[in-house]
Amino acid sequence: MTALLRTRAARDVGVVLVAVFGVGSLAMALAHVSPLVGFGSLFDGAFGTPEEVAETLVQTTNLLFPALGIAIAFRAGLFNIGAEGQLMLGGFAAGWLGAQFPLPAYLAIPMVLIGGAIAGGAWGAIPGFLRAKLGANEVISTLMLNFVATLLTTYLVTGPLAQTGGGSQETGTLPKAAQIPDMMVDSRLTYAFVLALVLAAVLWWVLKRTVFGYELRAAGEAPEAARRAGIDLARTAFVAMTLSGAIAGIGGATIVAGVLHRFNTGLSPGYGFIAIAVALVGNLDPLWIVLASLGFGMLQSGGVAMQAEAGVPREVVSLVTGLVIVALAGRRAIANRRTT
Amino acid sequence: MRRAFGPVLAVDGVDLELLPGEIHALVGENGAGKSTLAAIAYGAIAPDEGSIAASGSVGLVHQHFKLIERLRVWENVLLNREPRRGWSIDVAAARERVRGLAARYGLEVDPDARVETLPIGIKQRVELLRELDREPTVLLLDEPTAALAPSEIASFFATVTDLAKRGTAILVVTHKLAEVIAYSQRVTVMRHGRVVARSLTAETDAGAIARAMVGGELPALASRLETQPRALLEVRGLSARSGTSVLRDATFDVRAGEIVGVAGIEGNGQTALADALAAIVPFSGELRFDGALLRADDTPADRLARGIRVIPQDRRHEALVLDWTVRDNVALGRQRTLPLAKFGEAAREVIERFDVRPPNADAIAGMLSGGNQQKIVVGRMLADAPRLVVAYQPTRGIDIGAAALVQSRLIEARNAGAGVLLISFELDEIFACADRVLVIANGRFAGAFARAEIDRGRIGALMAGHTA
Repeated sequence: MTALLRTRAARDVGVVLVAVFGVGSLAMALAHVSPLVGFGSLFDGAFGTPEEVAETLVQTTNLLFPALGIAIAFRAGLFNIGAEGQLMLGGFAAGWLGAQFPLPAYLAIPMVLIGGAIAGGAWGAIPGFLRAKLGANEVISTLMLNFVATLLTTYLVTGPLAQTGGGSQETGTLPKAAQIPDMMVDSRLTYAFVLALVLAAVLWWVLKRTVFGYELRAAGEAPEAARRAGIDLARTAFVAMTLSGAIAGIGGATIVAGVLHRFNTGLSPGYGFIAIAVALVGNLDPLWIVLASLGFGMLQSGGVAMQAEAGVPREVVSLVTGLVIVALAGRRAIANRRTT
Repeated sequence: MRRAFGPVLAVDGVDLELLPGEIHALVGENGAGKSTLAAIAYGAIAPDEGSIAASGSVGLVHQHFKLIERLRVWENVLLNREPRRGWSIDVAAARERVRGLAARYGLEVDPDARVETLPIGIKQRVELLRELDREPTVLLLDEPTAALAPSEIASFFATVTDLAKRGTAILVVTHKLAEVIAYSQRVTVMRHGRVVARSLTAETDAGAIARAMVGGELPALASRLETQPRALLEVRGLSARSGTSVLRDATFDVRAGEIVGVAGIEGNGQTALADALAAIVPFSGELRFDGALLRADDTPADRLARGIRVIPQDRRHEALVLDWTVRDNVALGRQRTLPLAKFGEAAREVIERFDVRPPNADAIAGMLSGGNQQKIVVGRMLADAPRLVVAYQPTRGIDIGAAALVQSRLIEARNAGAGVLLISFELDEIFACADRVLVIANGRFAGAFARAEIDRGRIGALMAGHTA
């Protein structure tokens, strides 16, 4: 099942490059901008100065968490399209807890991250439970829960759990102790970046070297053989979805505690969706996903400069991201047809 | 004809000639290049060297059916050639065309049945009908009877012989020598990509063909040692259902140190029996293993923990992760007890004991031949001294050498004190291995025979559903 989505990463690089540069160039040409100028400003905007590199890494971090969560679910054969909602819930829990309970840093930061993990995990556990107990299709349930997450957090932050009053769609500001420390002055880059890298390495190890990872991969690749080998498919689905949501939830918590320093209902410009492309480009392998996140992080941060300096609409980045998904899915469909 | 895959020369300088009106058998061990040659003749693979000349069209029936499970029979048969009425498909005409085709060739099938609901034997008919609708002048059949019951095999070859009489040239790729002798006019034997023998079937015999296939004498089965059978599995009034397979009120014992054969035609409750023992489906009745009652809500893991190993019928979907290495596949089912560091060692043991080719723990399971895949499955099931082995069609679709090896290892497991329940559609396999034979028909056990009392005729009659 997951074999459909995983092929040799190296061969996909060509597809991605064609989608990004080929179609990107075409779109820029249509906007009457020379692709050289357009991509030049994109790269310059992403890597031109140390501050811009830092901003690229911020975007990398914000994509890396949900992409890792998505990869865990996909490797278990579960198409978790709900990372966006899981990230929202994680962000809300972090923001509310952080603002509500002033604690010293060594307690506040773990509280914020763990709170985010629990909230995101719970949001992933719901479709996981529905899948495990009732066989409900997780694509539908995770997708729908994205909308519920937006509405629920909006309701909570303006209603029963409002901290700022006046119907503001934000929580209170996190005290300094609950904020993830910066890695670099004059930037938004925090140690969340390091945490994401460590998490990628840990997940690589879990998938590759633990019984849990072995069973998760077996359940994803060959569910019938896995079931007969004594692997509890329902339990695996539930645990994988919960873990997947928890990782996305930590991502939301790091955006709140590292970048915004408060929860805001508009905290994500669609990280949870872009991360699907990131996970696929990264071949669902945590280490490749780090590289893929860097690539998409560059597009995110450079896109702003491209719009400002070269006059290319930022939407070109969304266009290219969507095309990468379509191109990879198409290429895999073709590869799959050839091999069977 | 010459064709290489990487460094492997799959087909090496082969000439083959098919004549209209003739059934030509192409035989050889796993990996001898038979299927590759058939694929080249069909045009699915381009040869590196050589050429093909055919008058008319070529049809190919695959070993692994290429049917769309969710579509109906007529939709599969007429795929891409549907009769039209303007913009839409003329369903009535399509149904009629399939019905006529089925009647003409004696391949009865309901045009409106969904393929996923059909037993394997009927799926094969659908596959054959699809090719026949194109009226091929050359028909290639790749292991066509691998999944068929004895009676189905006879009727299948009656159809094929009839086709040949109408002037079709037929190539049957197979490893079943009884069929070669019974139904073909000419036979070509391949080994390691080369033709090693050609003859008129009338001028040769199964022994000579088999020796040419393996390049020497046939592998003998392991000998059955004296054992002291004692109670192990007691089945009382067992009923279960798995998909369309239904088992009713089965009562029998399997003792430690014996092989009990379950003879029957496919689709008579065998799947329900195997799945109930594996805890894939719940059961009613009483299952007693080693004195203790087995629970109907056991999980497969519970049965594994008791030392019960069920070798499933469909190795590709039910036993292997095809994209994984041999090493990781050998550990499947033992992942909780076998430390990761021991995976390699366990794989090497299976590779050595079962002569897996290539002898490489890093090889991808899906790239191995069916026989070698099966060796991995059987190897891991027998690896940690199982108490009870349920082998459901353990040599399905694999060659003589691999089959003899699998059967020998099952006999050795019996010698070592395991109870073995051998569920097979191939009577020869059961007669070769079993200490006792049970006959299953219509989901019920219909008779029992000790090894000394085996009576082919009576067992055949019971299998066909006649009461003794």
